[in-house]
Amino acid sequence: MRRAIQFRLNGASVEAQVAPHETLVEVLREEFGLFGARESCGQGLCGCCTVLVDGTAVSGCLYLAALAEGAHVQTVEGAAELDAVQEAFIERAAFQCGFCTPGFVLMTRQLLDEHPDPSEDEIRHYLSGNLCRCAAYPEIIEAVKLAARKRRQS
Amino acid sequence: MKRATQATETPQVGRSVPRLESWLKVTGRAEYVHNLRLPGMLYGKIFRSSVAHGRIKRIDVSAARALAGVHSVVTAAEVKTLVPEPYYGPAFHDQPVLAVDKVRYVGEPVAVVLASDPHVAEEAVHLISAEYEELPAVYDEVEAMTSKAIVHETLKPAGTFPDLKHLKGRSNTNVALDFRLRRGDAAKAMKGAERVFEHRFRTQQVMHTPLEPLVSVAESTDSSLTIHTASQSPSFVRIEIARLLGWPENRVRVRVPFLGGGFGAKLYIKLEALVAVLSLLVHRPVKVSLTMEEQFFTITKHASTFRIKSGVTRDGRIVARDCEVWWNGGAYADIGPRVTQKSGFTAPGPYDIQDVSIDSYALYTNLPPAGALRGFGIPQLVWAYESHTDMIARELGIDPVEFRRKNLLREGRPQATGTRMKDAALEKVLERTAALLEWEKPFDHGSGTVRRGRGLAIGFKACIANTTSLAAVSVNADGSCTVYTSCVDMGQGSDTAMAQIAAEVLRMPTESVTVVHSDTDVTPFDMATLGSRSLFHSGNAVKLAAEDAVRKLNELRAELKLAADTPIADVFRKKYGMRAGSVMGGGNFIPPYTPPDENGQTENATPFWMVGATGVELEVDTETGRVRITRLINVADVGTPINPRIVETQLSGGAIMQLGFTLFEKMLFDAEGQLRNASLAEYKIPGLLDLPAEIVNEAVVAEQRSGPFGAKGVGETATFGVSPAVANAIHDAIGVRLTELPLNPEAVFQAMHK
Amino acid sequence: MLKIGEEERGLSPFELAEPRSLREALALLGADGVRPLSGGTALMLMMKAGVLRPTRLVNLRRLGIDQIERGNGGELRVGAMTTLRALEKSPLLKEWPVIARTLRTLSNVRVRNVATVGGHLAHGDPHMDLPPLLSALGATVTIAGPKGERTTPVEALYAGYLETTLARNELITQLLVPAMGARRAAYLKCTTRSADDWPALGVAVVLDGRKTSIVVSAATDRPTRLASVEAAEGLRIESDLHGSAQYKKQLLRVYLARAIHEARHASH
Ligand SMILES: Cc1cc2nc3c(=O)[nH]c(=O)nc-3n(C[C@H](O)[C@H](O)[C@H](O)COP(=O)(O)OP(=O)(O)OC[C@H]3O[C@@H](n4cnc5c(N)ncnc54)[C@H](O)[C@@H]3O)c2cc1C
Ligand code: FES
Ligand code: FES
Repeated sequence: MRRAIQFRLNGASVEAQVAPHETLVEVLREEFGLFGARESCGQGLCGCCTVLVDGTAVSGCLYLAALAEGAHVQTVEGAAELDAVQEAFIERAAFQCGFCTPGFVLMTRQLLDEHPDPSEDEIRHYLSGNLCRCAAYPEIIEAVKLAARKRRQS
Repeated sequence: MKRATQATETPQVGRSVPRLESWLKVTGRAEYVHNLRLPGMLYGKIFRSSVAHGRIKRIDVSAARALAGVHSVVTAAEVKTLVPEPYYGPAFHDQPVLAVDKVRYVGEPVAVVLASDPHVAEEAVHLISAEYEELPAVYDEVEAMTSKAIVHETLKPAGTFPDLKHLKGRSNTNVALDFRLRRGDAAKAMKGAERVFEHRFRTQQVMHTPLEPLVSVAESTDSSLTIHTASQSPSFVRIEIARLLGWPENRVRVRVPFLGGGFGAKLYIKLEALVAVLSLLVHRPVKVSLTMEEQFFTITKHASTFRIKSGVTRDGRIVARDCEVWWNGGAYADIGPRVTQKSGFTAPGPYDIQDVSIDSYALYTNLPPAGALRGFGIPQLVWAYESHTDMIARELGIDPVEFRRKNLLREGRPQATGTRMKDAALEKVLERTAALLEWEKPFDHGSGTVRRGRGLAIGFKACIANTTSLAAVSVNADGSCTVYTSCVDMGQGSDTAMAQIAAEVLRMPTESVTVVHSDTDVTPFDMATLGSRSLFHSGNAVKLAAEDAVRKLNELRAELKLAADTPIADVFRKKYGMRAGSVMGGGNFIPPYTPPDENGQTENATPFWMVGATGVELEVDTETGRVRITRLINVADVGTPINPRIVETQLSGGAIMQLGFTLFEKMLFDAEGQLRNASLAEYKIPGLLDLPAEIVNEAVVAEQRSGPFGAKGVGETATFGVSPAVANAIHDAIGVRLTELPLNPEAVFQAMHK
Repeated sequence: MLKIGEEERGLSPFELAEPRSLREALALLGADGVRPLSGGTALMLMMKAGVLRPTRLVNLRRLGIDQIERGNGGELRVGAMTTLRALEKSPLLKEWPVIARTLRTLSNVRVRNVATVGGHLAHGDPHMDLPPLLSALGATVTIAGPKGERTTPVEALYAGYLETTLARNELITQLLVPAMGARRAAYLKCTTRSADDWPALGVAVVLDGRKTSIVVSAATDRPTRLASVEAAEGLRIESDLHGSAQYKKQLLRVYLARAIHEARHASH
């Protein structure tokens, strides 16, 4: 029992046939070939599946695709150019295998939108729902601080 | 993208080049098997055993087969039509593609449903039922030595390793390897010792949890097979699949893109044999991707028990050491017997001890199989011997650092195997750790309900031998360079390091080198990406290949009567009259090695030694037992780093992972062998809020003379000392000794109130 | 022969309804296998684990019950569909700082962005953080059903592990938290594995003059009020993956004392 839903995806209007039980991360993968949001824990804990729905970060693995109808969905693939956060992640070597990285990038953007100059404590709390088994955490904290500086300077 | 093909005099090794794949990773575009979908592909979902040990009486797949949308259901019966002896494994041919006749642990794959919609396959799995005649099971590694419950009827060593041959055909035993080492006469020396100390330590079963769960895809024709897999060992996969099918190796192609983490979980055969057989059976591409939950039923880290006994003089010289280690290998041997031997021979620790005896046993039990996990058994051993070391020092009233100094293996001295230490900066690493901890200064031990302590531990590891790496380097007509290696970049940064090594030899910027990902049709043989061997082995092979290419380029220059500094592009233009051609260099690296004799003695046990120490400062909440790490110091001998920044991330990453194994990670089984916490909701791994307040990483100034540009592996080094350093610091804080991991709040609290 | 189309589209495990009024929503509820859906975070976990297999989900997002306001009696009124994150960021929480503090370590930002106050209170998992705190604060919920509205204390919502006193055809529509007045409050959660874990124990303490309200959760099968500090000793606690009963009893002693201390020193 699929039905067509319309939504905006990274700025473009799109339509997809989705079953009610399909999650957003599945639909992005299967219907749109977008792999930046990826399922790992499947339980809302690791943040690998992070996407933005109407500007707010959600776990794509716990979000029914059908609920995205009419919304604006953004994934890490959205922007054409690297932003301050991505540049900072590269400069601070804030990833190893990279599986968790898109989630961290999206969450860091949200964090900096809310707190342009976050304290270390704010960084740790805001990103505590993102796991990195490679444990690039110290570098991630550094990258977030650097990204904040970069953003303020531009 | 920058395209620099100009020659450069800037050194390429020793530079913190950002990872070559950085852009791909921060934009979510890096290729993982996780992303792969092929036309006509079926998804396989696994039906798993619900008993720990039992004979399969009946499997009923009829309801699953009847579900709309199900393509087929496969059990061992179908597997056997293709592979009559469907057993694989690196050390023993003991693991069936799907359970044959018997199941040996809860969660063992018994049947697979195939469907083009994974939800349908999943739904159908719930419709399968199986009946078992339950057999007695054994879970504890020490009990498994004498238990009446026998996991495997007969032992089937793979034949690859000479030291396993004697086990062939043995029955009525769970011992998959009984490694022994004798140096001098430990028993006699123990009798003569002024003081004797004996302790017993345990480690728990834990899981790698790479965030990209295990995944493999196979596509096939009747005479060829391509496997796309998240594997750390593509060459092994090819050999083993070819053996199972009775095919020549060149018909089996194994491709590996980036891995979303490995840590040892993705070694040898995991899902590859299954997808290969499924694809050949149904003539369609097949993908099996495990969920995070299923990973826990696939591969784990050995639980272990270690009895360690030392004879010591009153003034603190260790004169004898007797080690007995039991490794809980779970239901299938995987690489456990290697762990038992290769790590086993370092069980006495990095100390200069005359008389040593080691017995190290690999055991089968009815738990999920255990294999290699970031350290190949070393963290389990260091946990025991460095806790033991502190306990002795404190008993003798000697400062723990001083006690270690007194006994440390110095350069040139023989280790327990008789192999002399070489390029192992044990002293430096110990001294730097003590210095960073400001060991000589008084330390505030806190008061009231918050007590503070500090501790350190040092461990070492012999890199696995005897292993081979090959590489090829192609220099293209425009002067750019392509490296071919089957070394897998699972996050450790090997692509970048290999490119730096090639670039250094070829005097070109690292950015003009690309590294071709493992593809057994294209990239040459490599034993596997494991045990911190790749930077040394593959790195040396790449270096040799690049040198070979340089030699050939120089020959071309000579042949064309060109000056020695003629740019590469000009050489080719002169040779071919246009932009054409390429030069291919080859490198084959296999370091010398001497197999041990029946007493475990050899002059050359390893190509290089890794050395790592950890310093810890912490606080203990005496009312709850909670431990808070305030300072974590990781010091390592990594030789001369190729990429200092990546080295640093390996050090802190490894240490933080081990901190999880130290403080709370634990697979919890009930009395029936059922895992109770198979998900990240119940099996917790460290997050940002668990990070120590301060982390210090240091690579001491050192050189591995046989390594590429003085470098050696680093992927595991920072894990070695973490657990005992924490336990030693807890003891320093509250005077309580813990001998079993993890050191969670309840364990600390109970120990305080015993 | 198998048709690919059918093969791919074989499964339709549930239907998704999106009513536009409370009345419509209530009419859709009641039958077997029908569940209200708010943020869906808890529902999705239960469905993925196979413990819940609904045939229809009734999404409450279009009911327009997501306002946060201060009522005439100084109380905090929160529409059931308010996300935890919207509540956390509401300037009104300055008067209830203990709620803001609790939300900060409740799950993670993405879950709080989606999870709702109504869903949180209706879920009935004893490991959740707000039920004990809101119980101790004397909060109530408005419940709509086929026969109209009723009001009940949050504390009375829970009957046991994952069991609530809500009827299948009832919906929580609003949360009411009385003004803090001179009261002082603290909520402490204790995790025994990683820091971001679900709590092994939650303790809420509210001091009102000489009166002390204590509600304990996570270690118990539902939020449980303690008549006195001493009553902690008699509390029934079960062993689970977070720790043994005996150890959690010790945690309770310690955290209770600490929560009381913190409440005494809290500005509110
Ligand atoms: C990764 C993760 C970590 C978490 N960690 C924590 C934590 O540390 N502490 C904590 O407190 N919680 C935690 N939670 C739980 C979280 O708080 C709940 O999932 C969330 O509050 C549920 O809200 P929801 O709106 O998503 O509910 P839903 O999933 O929509 O619904 C939950 C239940 O309530 C019913 N329901 C929904 N709305 C109503 C209504 N208005 N009236 C009646 N019934 C209704 C549903 O049918 C369902 O049974 C965690 C959750 C996740 C996913
Ligand atoms: S996969 Fe969604 S949060 Fe982990
Ligand atoms: S970089 Fe590997 S999980 Fe984060």
